[in-house]
Amino acid sequence: MPHEQTGQTLSTLLAIAWLLPLFGFAIEIFAGFWQRDRFSKAGARLAVACIAVAFLCSGWALLTYINDTGWNERYQRQSEHHAALMDSLHGHHAGEDAHHPADDGHDAHQHEHKHGEKAQFALSDPPLAALAPGQDAAEEGRSKPATFSGTYYRLAKFGDLEIEIGYYIDTLTLVMFTMVTFIAMCIHIFAMGYMADELTDEYVDHHAHLADGKHLHRPGRYYQFFAYLSLFCFSMLGLVIAGNIFQVFVFWELVGICSYFLIGFYFERKSASNAANKAFIMNRVGDFGFLIGLMVLWTSFGTFKFAETDAAHPEKPAGLFQMARGADGLMHIGEDADGTSALVLHERDGSQKLDAEGNPVSVPYWLIIVAGLGIFAGCIGKSAQFPLQTWLPDAMEGPTPVSALVHSATMVAAGVYLAGRFYPMFTPEVLLVIAYVGGITLFVAATIAMVATDLKKVLAYSTISQLGYMMLGLGVFGWAAGLFHLVTHAFFKSLMFLCSGSVIAGCHHEQEMTKMGGLLKKMPITGLTMLVGVIAIAGLSIPGTQIAFSGFFSKDAIVATSLTFFKENPSHFLLFVLPLITAGLTAFYMFRLWFYTFLGKPRDQHVYDHCHESPWVMTGPLIVLSLLAAFCAVGGEGGKLFLMLDESRPAGVHETLAYTGVVNVTLPGHTAVASNHHQAGNLATIAAFLGTLIAFAIYGIGLIKPEEIKKSLAGIHGYLTHKWYFDEIYDVMFVRPAHAIAHFCTAIDRVVFDGVLHWLCRAAVAVARWDRIFDERVVDGLVNLTGSVTYSVGRSFRKLQTGNLRQYVMFIALSVLLLSVILFVWFPH
Amino acid sequence: MTLETLLFYIFGLAACIGAVAVVVTQNVVRMAFWLIVSLGSVAALYFLLDADFVAATQIIIYVGGTLVLLIFGIMLTASGPYQKIKSSPGEVFMGAGIGVLLLVLLVGTVGAIDWSAASRAVAGPDFRPTTGEGYNPAGQGNTTRPIGMALLGPRPDKDLGKPEGSKLSSGYLFPFEIVSIHLLVVLIGAAYLARAKRRVQKVGPDSRE
Amino acid sequence: MSLDSYLLIGAILFVAGVVCMATKRNGIGVLMGVELVLNGANVNFVAFSKFTPLGLDGQIVSLFVIVLAAAEAAVALAIALNFYNNHLTIDVDRANELKH
Repeated sequence: MPHEQTGQTLSTLLAIAWLLPLFGFAIEIFAGFWQRDRFSKAGARLAVACIAVAFLCSGWALLTYINDTGWNERYQRQSEHHAALMDSLHGHHAGEDAHHPADDGHDAHQHEHKHGEKAQFALSDPPLAALAPGQDAAEEGRSKPATFSGTYYRLAKFGDLEIEIGYYIDTLTLVMFTMVTFIAMCIHIFAMGYMADELTDEYVDHHAHLADGKHLHRPGRYYQFFAYLSLFCFSMLGLVIAGNIFQVFVFWELVGICSYFLIGFYFERKSASNAANKAFIMNRVGDFGFLIGLMVLWTSFGTFKFAETDAAHPEKPAGLFQMARGADGLMHIGEDADGTSALVLHERDGSQKLDAEGNPVSVPYWLIIVAGLGIFAGCIGKSAQFPLQTWLPDAMEGPTPVSALVHSATMVAAGVYLAGRFYPMFTPEVLLVIAYVGGITLFVAATIAMVATDLKKVLAYSTISQLGYMMLGLGVFGWAAGLFHLVTHAFFKSLMFLCSGSVIAGCHHEQEMTKMGGLLKKMPITGLTMLVGVIAIAGLSIPGTQIAFSGFFSKDAIVATSLTFFKENPSHFLLFVLPLITAGLTAFYMFRLWFYTFLGKPRDQHVYDHCHESPWVMTGPLIVLSLLAAFCAVGGEGGKLFLMLDESRPAGVHETLAYTGVVNVTLPGHTAVASNHHQAGNLATIAAFLGTLIAFAIYGIGLIKPEEIKKSLAGIHGYLTHKWYFDEIYDVMFVRPAHAIAHFCTAIDRVVFDGVLHWLCRAAVAVARWDRIFDERVVDGLVNLTGSVTYSVGRSFRKLQTGNLRQYVMFIALSVLLLSVILFVWFPH
Repeated sequence: MTLETLLFYIFGLAACIGAVAVVVTQNVVRMAFWLIVSLGSVAALYFLLDADFVAATQIIIYVGGTLVLLIFGIMLTASGPYQKIKSSPGEVFMGAGIGVLLLVLLVGTVGAIDWSAASRAVAGPDFRPTTGEGYNPAGQGNTTRPIGMALLGPRPDKDLGKPEGSKLSSGYLFPFEIVSIHLLVVLIGAAYLARAKRRVQKVGPDSRE
Repeated sequence: MSLDSYLLIGAILFVAGVVCMATKRNGIGVLMGVELVLNGANVNFVAFSKFTPLGLDGQIVSLFVIVLAAAEAAVALAIALNFYNNHLTIDVDRANELKH
């Protein structure tokens, strides 16, 4: 099938999948469920139907892509290539690693690559000095990614700026679509059971207290919940399919507002409304950076489009990615007229972009950094990265399906997705910032998760930590690794959230782990599926083999990339040490959670007695998700999922081996990563097993009493339970100063402005009083005088008008006489 | 004293006496009689002024028409055979005073002006007051034909003898037509106003309809 | 005879008419006063026609005046008749309804 036709099919299918939830939302909101029937599940069924059809469309689109672009063939080639590469590398390391049978080594081959990767590009080089790319062996078999972009509808045109609803479809989009719609479908089905207690005319909210101490009674909001879920899915899908950065921003904000609605679903609870506000405001902080990035992009590039792939109209201007990267997929750094370094822009065919006078167009290099950092600031807010991570744990105030949908698989994933989508625009400096932000986030969140006792909070911090992993993976140039982890994490984290939801629903909205224990007997399906998720996120594998659940592969890929990065740039050792330690921490706190909840003796007999397994509508999605969480990444980096994502990897990520920019980093190449893969995998596995064993020792068999550790490490424990005092620091740094400034402004307002205003008002009143006197005395007096004079004159003349004919005649005669006399007196002659 | 002068005195005196008698007399019918005397004398004065057509018109219309009309009015409105409506003495005195003053004013004005000088100032120094000049130099007083011509438009009384191409005087054809229509309207209006109305009820002197 | 003597007669007639209008309460009397005033003016016109450059125009104007006076007399008499029909009197002092 020709390329254009494939693009047409894909865009149509994805548009249907994208718009169906919006359709569902409109029906659910406007169909009148609020008054007709609060016991009706019609709204929920409609939402499920919409998202299910959307999933089918997405899956169909994915299959269409696979068939039409001959992906299977490429997959075979890539897979074989990968296997060969791994074999060769393992042969090289055979002496070091006894676990792997050695093949024939390819030392020479590998050294060539090493040599190539060391090529340097100095900033002071003359403009357009082509970077000598180390052609990676792994890149040779790689075909150009099939990308489809276009426009659904042009909203507006301001000069050269076109605001349009477009699409940009590559394998990342397709995988995200399928993943998001599938998980959303599972969560919708789960929520049908979880939210069933809202199917009432009088819902009693035990967490919302009224002024008289009673619980709040309110009508159920079942249909509303599903309407929000549908709108949320629509927003998220719109973000994923977006063809330009402006559209991303629009849906970015829509996702934000949907999360606001959903986090604040129990808005009668003070904590819920606070959490919703916090999430919204924290996101605004990031979006401020996003807006700056947008403005920089618009002023320097003049377009928001990602890329223009319309082959039929070569005159259409290039998109952002095409401008920033040359035909070889590299950023070309030249010099501006004033000597500052600048990015040389390109046309669609890879040639230099020329302005009207024929000079090359370039953008100052620092502006590109600013734009990248700005966009990434948005990602920080949305993905709850350090330093804006504090909203995500609070956001657990929403219903658990919301936590699963919004805060594990989709909304927070939006930040990572955007960082991946916008990857071609990120300079090495920005990527380094991303890596460090990710590194700090993953460690901080993991340490807090170790001491949290709220079931959902542990998962929330775990989410932040895993998002940090993804950011780190992206930041150390493991593009596919980071997004690979995004997809696998989405599966197992939504699985775990739904499991926790099942537990919470079974325990009658008890979230404290300290009151649980031994629940495995009561809720076997939930407990076992949860165990699958825990093993997946912990990254455990059967030692020495590649048999493991999905989390192992994706985390392995990230750790391998970071290890390679560390080896190339020893000064950035933290970027390897942090994820490695955190791999152990992750295993520890996840197993702690599981042991705490499902094993041991019941800590609260009351909760235990009332606990029960959830209905099928809730456990069904758990089983499906657990299967996917376990097996979605089969084959690891040679597997289908990874290679599917890898196909969309921006050209030049791995070839761009070394920049001597503001920061001096050497970027890891594909082969180098592969060569370090085994070592990294072993290290990560050892760390994970260590964490698991410690958790088992403390919480599983009670070898060490947790209380004793708590006592001996009271300082650290207190520090961690206070979440590194982030909330307190922000309170001191921002909230209190804001309050102080507000008070100061109020005082100024009261004293100065109000004073001046009051003075002005009093002056105006005085003037008005004087004016009134003047009006009454002078103006009215004059008018009245005129009136009364006229009246009296009229009255006196009235007597003259006798109506007597003969008198009139006499008057006439007299007047004639008088006039004559006057005339004679006046004019004697 | 020529006959003309004698006649002027007789008729002038008669006109004045008749007019004063109209004012003085209280009986309406006698007032009408004195008016006839006054107007007839004025007609005679017109003859003396060589205005024979105007004099004839005066007799025919005034004496023969208007006065008959007035007498009919008197007879139609006389509620009693000898009803008199008297004015108050104050009013009479006032009227008399005003009349005297007005008369003094008019007579003074007439006497104060040198009429022949005024005429010469208008028509030139060699102006002689003559009658029928131009059309009937014999002074026979035949003005009927020139008046008729003037009412039709041409003015032989003024334009005869003027050099050719000079500006001609205008006649009175248009006013004549207007007056004729005016008369028609007035007659219709008068007939309408004065037509006999059938009374539905007897209306008292002070009652209003 | 001189112009002045005719003008004197005209003045007397005029004044007599004015006084007649001012003193007579009888509507017909007022009408007679009007006729006298008009006649006084006519005498002047005809006299000017003879003794001044006015010429025949004076006589023609006096003719118009006579004709209009006749018309006026007709209308006035009709009004007087109407007035009498309504009030059963011809006293013009009673014609004061518009005053109220």
